[in-house]
Amino acid sequence: MKKGRLPLAATLLVLVFFYLPIIILVVNSFNAARFSSSWQGFTLEWYAKLFHSPEIWLSVRNTLVIALGSTAVSLVLGTAAAFALHRYAGSRLQQAHYTLIYTPLVVPEILMGISLLMAFVAAGTGLGLFTIFLAHVTFCVSYVAMVVLARLQDFDFQLIEAAQDLGASWWQSTRKVLLPLLLPGLAAGGLLAFTLSVDDFVITFFVAGPGSTTLPLRIYSMIKYGNPPMINALSTLLLAVTLTAVIASQRLARLKR
Amino acid sequence: MKRNKRRLQEWLISLPTLLWLSLFIVVPTVLVFAIAFRPANPYGGIGAGWTLETIRGLWTHGYLVIAWRTFWISAVTTVLCILLAVPTGYFIARASMKWQNRLLLLVIVPFWTSFLVRVFAWRSLLHPEGLIKQVLEGIGLASPQATLLYHPGAVVLVMVYTFLPFTILPIYAAAEKFDFRLVEAARDLGARPFQAFRKVFLPGIRRGLLTAVLVVFIPALGSYIIPDLVGGPASEMLGNKIAQRVFVDRNLPYAAALSAVLILAVLAPLIAVLVLQRKKGKADIIIGEAP
Amino acid sequence: MPEFLEFRGVSKRFGTIQAVGDVSLEIKKGEFFSLLGPSGCGKTTMLRIAAGFEEPDAGRVFLDGRDITDLPPNKRKVNTIFQSYALFPHMTVRDNIAFGLAIAKRTKREIDAEVDKMLHLIQMAGQADKKPDFLSGGQKQRVAVARALINKPDVLLLDEPLAALDLKLRQKMLIELDLIHDEVGITFLYVTHDQAEAMSLSDRIAVMDSGRIEQVGAPAEIYESPRTSFVAAFIGDTNFLEGRVLECQDHEYCRLAIAGLPEILCFNDRQLQPGQTIYLSIRPEKVHISRERPEEKPQRNIMPAAVEDVIYLGSTTKYWVRVAGYRIQVLRQHSRYFLDEKPLRWKDDVWIWWHADDGFMLDHFRKADESLLAVPPQKVGEPLNGPQEK
Repeated sequence: MKKGRLPLAATLLVLVFFYLPIIILVVNSFNAARFSSSWQGFTLEWYAKLFHSPEIWLSVRNTLVIALGSTAVSLVLGTAAAFALHRYAGSRLQQAHYTLIYTPLVVPEILMGISLLMAFVAAGTGLGLFTIFLAHVTFCVSYVAMVVLARLQDFDFQLIEAAQDLGASWWQSTRKVLLPLLLPGLAAGGLLAFTLSVDDFVITFFVAGPGSTTLPLRIYSMIKYGNPPMINALSTLLLAVTLTAVIASQRLARLKR
Repeated sequence: MKRNKRRLQEWLISLPTLLWLSLFIVVPTVLVFAIAFRPANPYGGIGAGWTLETIRGLWTHGYLVIAWRTFWISAVTTVLCILLAVPTGYFIARASMKWQNRLLLLVIVPFWTSFLVRVFAWRSLLHPEGLIKQVLEGIGLASPQATLLYHPGAVVLVMVYTFLPFTILPIYAAAEKFDFRLVEAARDLGARPFQAFRKVFLPGIRRGLLTAVLVVFIPALGSYIIPDLVGGPASEMLGNKIAQRVFVDRNLPYAAALSAVLILAVLAPLIAVLVLQRKKGKADIIIGEAP
Repeated sequence: MPEFLEFRGVSKRFGTIQAVGDVSLEIKKGEFFSLLGPSGCGKTTMLRIAAGFEEPDAGRVFLDGRDITDLPPNKRKVNTIFQSYALFPHMTVRDNIAFGLAIAKRTKREIDAEVDKMLHLIQMAGQADKKPDFLSGGQKQRVAVARALINKPDVLLLDEPLAALDLKLRQKMLIELDLIHDEVGITFLYVTHDQAEAMSLSDRIAVMDSGRIEQVGAPAEIYESPRTSFVAAFIGDTNFLEGRVLECQDHEYCRLAIAGLPEILCFNDRQLQPGQTIYLSIRPEKVHISRERPEEKPQRNIMPAAVEDVIYLGSTTKYWVRVAGYRIQVLRQHSRYFLDEKPLRWKDDVWIWWHADDGFMLDHFRKADESLLAVPPQKVGEPLNGPQEK
């Protein structure tokens, strides 16, 4: 069947729509003009300002610490959850389990943020990096669980039977067959969790305490009160870092084959 | 005996996430509903005792306006996203394998950038001295005083921008599984292209469509950043009000009451879909790969 | 000959379905034994019970005298070839084959020597470092066989290993499997739904249906002397005729009355009472068909018939003829090309006959088994059914 022009046109429109703001942003990060309404020469001034800003570095550090921590914990929890959901699929417990895991994926972030805030306030714990960490693990677990679950559902468990048939114990077949084949799924889940944690604003905004600023929080305050060109530069840097990470992981995935 | 051992294993391996999520999702949600029934402490935070005042305070004109606005902005965003996502998802699903991967990557990559950054990029673009305004002025479609920013249209634009990738993906996934020979069969039986599209393709991807609708509408209801940064006071949504109550007024019970409303508003479509599922006996319309 | 692999009273239920119901089977050492039956008959379940992947609800399994019912699969000296081969995709051919030996913690030198021998046996020495994704179907199957045989199991279990291959390749692999069995001498337990495979490869076959064993025997025995209507209808083709015993003469032949037909003579090897209802099974290739009336001979069952359908198949022709109220299938081989004989056509009047030795009276007849015979309907929309009975 011939593809009509409409789908192609729509796709092109959508792609232009997606990339236009990003391209403008990147271009303006090199723009010497303060208010980016016109081009006033190429400069790296804004990048330099970024590098010399201690608040930025502090927020970067906080962001990374929280992201690494929550990725690690959510990987463990999420993988265990995926195993449970897959192995005992259909039981009443798993149906409830699934609903619980599915919830953070569908509720607006503001609801999660505010309910966690209420919980922390009611419990009397102070707000700080630790509460951010707890919040991040909470939503990351669901994403990791879904990714790993999808991999498990695609996994041919007859391979495990074959390993056992050939003499492998439960542990041997897990170590030599299951884990190596599941590794790409775990890596994908981990990467997803990491990205979500680094990028999270709304939930972090509600459960952060004074002095526990992450990069998104700093960006927000810069947007409200600060220096537009520096935000452009910071955004471009973030974009470059993310793109490199994505390309690297794609290359890695291809290499593994 | 074996069955008990198996059940024990099941509980053990499910326990960590069950505990964590109960503690950090179920309990806080219950708390939100509980705190909605408490009065506000004049010095900020939660007061003592129980009252219905907070809830009654919701039923004011101001709040109803905001609730309505939240609803229609989310609805319009959803419709626009679906209108754009269906042809795009269709196109990508019909492309060659090589192009499918490339196009999907192109769609996803903006998602990998910081969400705040993208909203900020639009703010600059829509700024009175920003690029788009200059272009529009140049071709005579806008006057120098007109503002593109700080009104509901800007909010819808940026929301569509944010949620479109999430809409394209489930539609693409459903289109990819769809057997396009069904459309050919329809054409063979005399249907015109658009008829075949409407009567065969759209019902064929209805699971993807439903997922796409939910994946936009529900987060849109809870939007906070977008109306905050590009919407201005004329486009305040529930999310803004909640944040304002928490951070500006330090009135947690009001915020809790508003949040409770939002929770119910979010639950309503989800429950409606679940009931529909049960009735039709069809499993996992939303859930895709439910166990 | 000692019974090497034995199932005693094995039963297995999945939910409400009885997959295997009180099955007992004895397989001899070195035998090529097949479990043959349609999908859902329980043959794969039997195999999985032998391998240790399913635990029977009742009954025991013995290997070389030892009760292995409670042993987990990794502790049994039994190896399986899976239908999808289940080769480890992240390991090379070499590592796949070596897997069992590596688990058994043999030295690297031993492993390499054995693996090389195996690679030679399956003629894949040049592909040792490839990953399974890059192998053809036939190659994958050979690797699966090597991976299993290298452990020198007592029994090799094969789960429809040729099902995924196309026809020509399947024929080739059939011969290869046969050669491997002869060469290695291990007991093979082979599961299939394909009768040609089972008959050409096996020393003995167990025909299964709905979790029960219908008959066990050598291929010729199963084919020529089916005991039940299922075996008669599932393997090859046949005609069923219902009748009454008139008289049985000296345990050799019985005279039968079948409605609408002349008196039928049939070979008999058991006790039958006059008046007893029996079911006669006669295979199409045993029925002769001709224009001229055949010579009357004492053990020939001769009757006139009318041709209703002619299906030319090249080396043979299938005829559907009507005798009284019955539709009978006749298969005739063209061993010589008769230039001047006019081919039999629709509506021709013919004579059919068969020898009394070639009919077989069934122990057990089930009306439902008639649906296994593909009798062509007479009108569009008519259901497929067995021979009409007036």
